[in-house]
Amino acid sequence: MARPCAVVGIGQTDYRRRLEVSLEGLVRWAALEALEDAGLTFADIDAVVIGKAPDLLEGVMMPELSLADALGAVGKPIHRVHTAGSVGAATAISGVTMVESGRYDRVLVVCYEKQSEGNATWALSGGKSGGQGAGGTFAPWIRSYIKRSGAPEHIGWQVAVKDRRNALRNPHAHLRIPDISVEKVKESPMLWEPLHFLESCPSSDGAAAVVLASEDLARRGPAKPAWVIAHAKRSEYASFPGRDPVRPRAGVDCAEALYRKAGITDPLRQIDCAELYVPFSWYEPMWLEGHLLTAPGEGWKLTDSGATELGGSFPVNPSGGVLSSNPIGASGLVRCLEAARQVRGTAGEHQVEGARVALGHAYGGAAQYFAMWLVGSELRPAFA
Amino acid sequence: MPQPGLPPMRTVLEYPYTRTTGPVIGAFLTGIRDGRLLGGRIGAQVRCPPLEYDPGTGAPADLDPVEVGPCGTVSSWTWVREPTASHPFRHPFAFALIVPDGASTGFLHAVDAGGPERMSTGMRVTIRFKEQRAGAVTDFWFVPEEDGAEPAPPVEGGEPVTLTEQPLSLTYTEPYHPHRVRFLTGLLEGVVTGQRSPVTGKVYVPGRGYDHLERTLMTEEHDVVVADRGTVSSFTEITPVRYHGQKETEPYIRASILLDGSDSPITGVDIRTIPLAEFRVGLRLRAVWKPEGERDISAFDNRSTGGWEGVIDRWEPTGEPDADTRALEEHAF
Repeated sequence: MARPCAVVGIGQTDYRRRLEVSLEGLVRWAALEALEDAGLTFADIDAVVIGKAPDLLEGVMMPELSLADALGAVGKPIHRVHTAGSVGAATAISGVTMVESGRYDRVLVVCYEKQSEGNATWALSGGKSGGQGAGGTFAPWIRSYIKRSGAPEHIGWQVAVKDRRNALRNPHAHLRIPDISVEKVKESPMLWEPLHFLESCPSSDGAAAVVLASEDLARRGPAKPAWVIAHAKRSEYASFPGRDPVRPRAGVDCAEALYRKAGITDPLRQIDCAELYVPFSWYEPMWLEGHLLTAPGEGWKLTDSGATELGGSFPVNPSGGVLSSNPIGASGLVRCLEAARQVRGTAGEHQVEGARVALGHAYGGAAQYFAMWLVGSELRPAFA
Repeated sequence: MPQPGLPPMRTVLEYPYTRTTGPVIGAFLTGIRDGRLLGGRIGAQVRCPPLEYDPGTGAPADLDPVEVGPCGTVSSWTWVREPTASHPFRHPFAFALIVPDGASTGFLHAVDAGGPERMSTGMRVTIRFKEQRAGAVTDFWFVPEEDGAEPAPPVEGGEPVTLTEQPLSLTYTEPYHPHRVRFLTGLLEGVVTGQRSPVTGKVYVPGRGYDHLERTLMTEEHDVVVADRGTVSSFTEITPVRYHGQKETEPYIRASILLDGSDSPITGVDIRTIPLAEFRVGLRLRAVWKPEGERDISAFDNRSTGGWEGVIDRWEPTGEPDADTRALEEHAF
């Protein structure tokens, strides 16, 4: 039986082009803030886990070696997780399992990306000309979703506006567009039909960190813990006959496993808010459906109703989400720690009132890697 | 295992990365640019280069600068007999761990000693700066102390160094997998070869040498020739973004095509001659091959599925009615 685990410290940098800091300085900012939040120092940490997206993004190979001493890991176990865009959430889960195992009492999880040092499209195309880019990969699946669900075209624009408005409440957010509007989104350049420029994520630098602790240490404080109620990871091949990339089986299985472990039977009602990995606007309704929060074909209706806005019945990405900040390797951990901030009641201007249970999620690759956690203000919340 | 008929593929991966230095390494590199070697005091030690933190504990450390060198002691070394293009010298030299005078720790750098007989652990070396300096570790090297004149006095007053360039380049060669050789040889002959899974009967184009769902080996006996015509199963219009090495400037279509007789579409197919307005899922296309002597497979590596533009000149509508898109769902994408 796994031991309970909680988030006891949270740290994150501002997400933008960070030309004034070194890579070490960037990750240390997040790590030191998380330690301070937890009332700890590096000396109190038993193991460190690093997550980031492909090495080609910065051209730094095996960064877990070069960053070990910057993260106070001398003489301690350290390992690196790499599951493409889902890595931030997968890294958090890797840290949780270390605490759950009983072998480590406090684990520091740090994720980062410094996109300004390289170029993501170059890296994702393996250094070749004619790179398709992430948007080019996802656009046909988005069109397929629209056709299948009958969603009206304004849904994508609406998600983009909502997340950018939420970002105005989050001082860490990269994109801040005070006069964002549906007109502005749909008039921005078309990048990959049907995705406009303002429906796409930015290239950000940034780092995020959490301190995870066992139950007895978490209860000692000083900060209010966010309990990890359940977590799940699933993956599938990028391409095979019969694959449905619009609603990947791995995403459905991952959500099912997560809700089952948590004892959740009606996720939309029993979960108070979610930070979903939405790098392109249409992925909000696609993941609402693909992760069983709504029935197939119903996700866009939930978005259209305003329920996913801050103040709605199921706020999605109150922080502004990946659409507003995308330090790729850290983005999944940012979803997870923003969920934790919600249930701790420390999300500031983008706090969802009364949030008790929150979902943090990330996906990666060709919509093939999934990692999710549910965090709560109580360790074992009763779900009615 | 070398394959007859096809030379190993050669790949060059290069990108001009940049590095932000932060305040501490920035001060070190600014010192180099000005012609001085800077260390930083952390606790009882003077570290060169300086660090933003105590490497033993991770505790923050503000820069407490100490000028070190210009001479130092070699604590370990190795002789480089055959320098590569990225080495600091074209002639043989030593890489050595050098502890500058006044510093507690050493760093790896080059010693231009002439021959390995002049190198020894414990030997004294002195720094030599290039006349033109950008603020990089390649702005200097070391020589045996007896070869070195006193360095010129530092030059002050430039802007602090905050960003460095780090162009990385990696060239590697890799033999093609046997199944890849058969696939590529087929393309040179104007034939598309796939592999039929012995378990499910599904045909994969290109084959991988194994069925990745059933985890079953697929060998030459599983090769099948499929048609060079098929149905568009998916596409994207790409608006090229600029990046290092990007040659595309105008929008174009990237399509997946399910070839007749195959269960897995070929992907990353360039479409340049069919207008976007006429392009759609379900459209029937046929390949127009390049003349036999002009086919180029160099854009295919062992893993990529793209590269068709090297062997196929263009894809043309066949004029047949569109395929039923619902029937494609089993294979689309």
